[in-house]
Amino acid sequence: MRERLHRWDEAIARCEKALVAVMLSLMIVLALLQVLLRNAFATGISWGDPLVRNLVLWVGFIGATMATKEGKHINLDVVSRWIGEGRLWLVRALVHFLSVGICAILAYAALLFVANEARSGAVTFLDVPMWVPELVIPVTFGLMTLRFGLAFLEALALRGSSESPDRRPGVA
Amino acid sequence: MSTLLVCAILLVLMLLGAPIFVVISGLALYLLASAQIDLSAMIIEMHRMATTPILVAIPLFTFAGYVLSESGAPMRLVRLSDAFLGWLPGGLSIIALVTCAAFTALTGATGLTIIALGGILLPAMSRGRYPEMFSMGLLTTSGTLGLLFPPSLPLIIYAIVAKVRVDQLFLAGILPGIVLVMLLSAFSVQRAVHFQVPRARFRAGEAVAALKEAAWEIPLPLVVLGGIYSGRFAVSEAAAITAAYVLLVEVVILKDIGWRELPEIMRKSMVLVGGILIILGAALGLTNYLVDAEVPMNVLSFLKARIASPVLFLVVLNLFLLAAGCTMGMFSALTVMVPLMAPVAQAYDIHPVHLGIIFLTNLEIGASIPPLGINLFISSIRFERPVLRLYVACLPFIAILLLCLVIITYWPWLSLAFLK
Repeated sequence: MRERLHRWDEAIARCEKALVAVMLSLMIVLALLQVLLRNAFATGISWGDPLVRNLVLWVGFIGATMATKEGKHINLDVVSRWIGEGRLWLVRALVHFLSVGICAILAYAALLFVANEARSGAVTFLDVPMWVPELVIPVTFGLMTLRFGLAFLEALALRGSSESPDRRPGVA
Repeated sequence: MSTLLVCAILLVLMLLGAPIFVVISGLALYLLASAQIDLSAMIIEMHRMATTPILVAIPLFTFAGYVLSESGAPMRLVRLSDAFLGWLPGGLSIIALVTCAAFTALTGATGLTIIALGGILLPAMSRGRYPEMFSMGLLTTSGTLGLLFPPSLPLIIYAIVAKVRVDQLFLAGILPGIVLVMLLSAFSVQRAVHFQVPRARFRAGEAVAALKEAAWEIPLPLVVLGGIYSGRFAVSEAAAITAAYVLLVEVVILKDIGWRELPEIMRKSMVLVGGILIILGAALGLTNYLVDAEVPMNVLSFLKARIASPVLFLVVLNLFLLAAGCTMGMFSALTVMVPLMAPVAQAYDIHPVHLGIIFLTNLEIGASIPPLGINLFISSIRFERPVLRLYVACLPFIAILLLCLVIITYWPWLSLAFLK
């Protein structure tokens, strides 16, 4: 069961990597094009800026789900340095359990938000309804919920085994 | 009462290693629910933050910083400053300070400096016969040095959260940043003379060669700053130009990095960006509620009743921020503390831009303060030394940094000189 979940997770991760690469490249090209057009020809693409802003939204939230997969969310992780190897699984399980709960609520809140936006009928670049790019928020929070869930299962599986989960250094 | 309980539970889980964004979101969601406000208010704030126009600068500058750190640029930077500063007494330590500061400004104080430069500079300083404790202390505290120079990420984030103009904040950081580097350099020179480290001679040939080698990277600060202050382009546009320029130089011209490596570098840099943005979003959701609930007003009236003078207020603020920088980490301290403290500081007549520089200087120093400053742990992993040794190694440098903090805090002119 966990095996299969992992394979799906890896497949999703490959899609995320490709999406982020394409979107970031598009962001650089579009932003650069706008500078050139404005400075050289005193013009610009009217849908360029809102599209770039939506690309940032996507790249940011996809980045956050990738951080979840890799255990790279910014955290303090002070106490676990002094917790014995035997108890570490319990700490991990507790922490991941909380994260699952909070991310699930955030995903639900994001769905409410998207539904509200859909009812408002607002549009963004090229007359795309606002709620379409905003879908990335509930989707990524849903993914984060699943990934924290997977990490939770892994922490439980470590119980009793002498193997310790790797301790990654935090960044920033 | 139950709010206190929820705070206590979340605090314990945070200390146990729960992601900061989960803890902040948890608190915000709880407060919203108990005030019977629709939970989507949280997402509204996140969405509003993520689509702020200036925010485009964050992924673009971060990506450019990652490309630079994976290329040969750190080596060229070290060689260049070696050629020009190596002949000074204590030259190598000045090189370390200057390169770390430049690199941190470009990569945004995200822990990359110690990882990318530490491995080059520590062996170089050992060969230069600097005592190991001195070198490690210097490199550890330099992990966030340069944070006040544009276009560092914390400056941009402060501007977004505190709603001050980013170009003004960029200008404000320059003199205080120079003061930090100068005082640390002076201290290092004094120590180097004391340790009697051998001096190198200036060689014109090497200087020219190093200049030639770094010829493509030298214009980079001009691209970033010149464009913004000539009024030609906005900060977010400067970020796009920087990213494109770095790609052109490192991938097309120098070929330090292959096209095939780019998606992986993009992925790595965006993992960091995602981690920061989601904290930023969660924190704005929380502080939006707190501002509605008039928490800053309550903090203010509490403080006003006890602290009359701005001088004393700044002492308290500094101690508080040093502790926050040491324990919470830079990005969470910035996003949570700034909206709460900015209105309070304004009531004490502190200029919002000066306040930004005070904030960032504190967080920069806090990152090296025992027991929890993040630089100590990054160094401990990078240099494979016990954290306790680094605690001791950093102390003299922290003393110098604190002296700088006093100067920056009580001499507003330093921060505001360029704004007029």
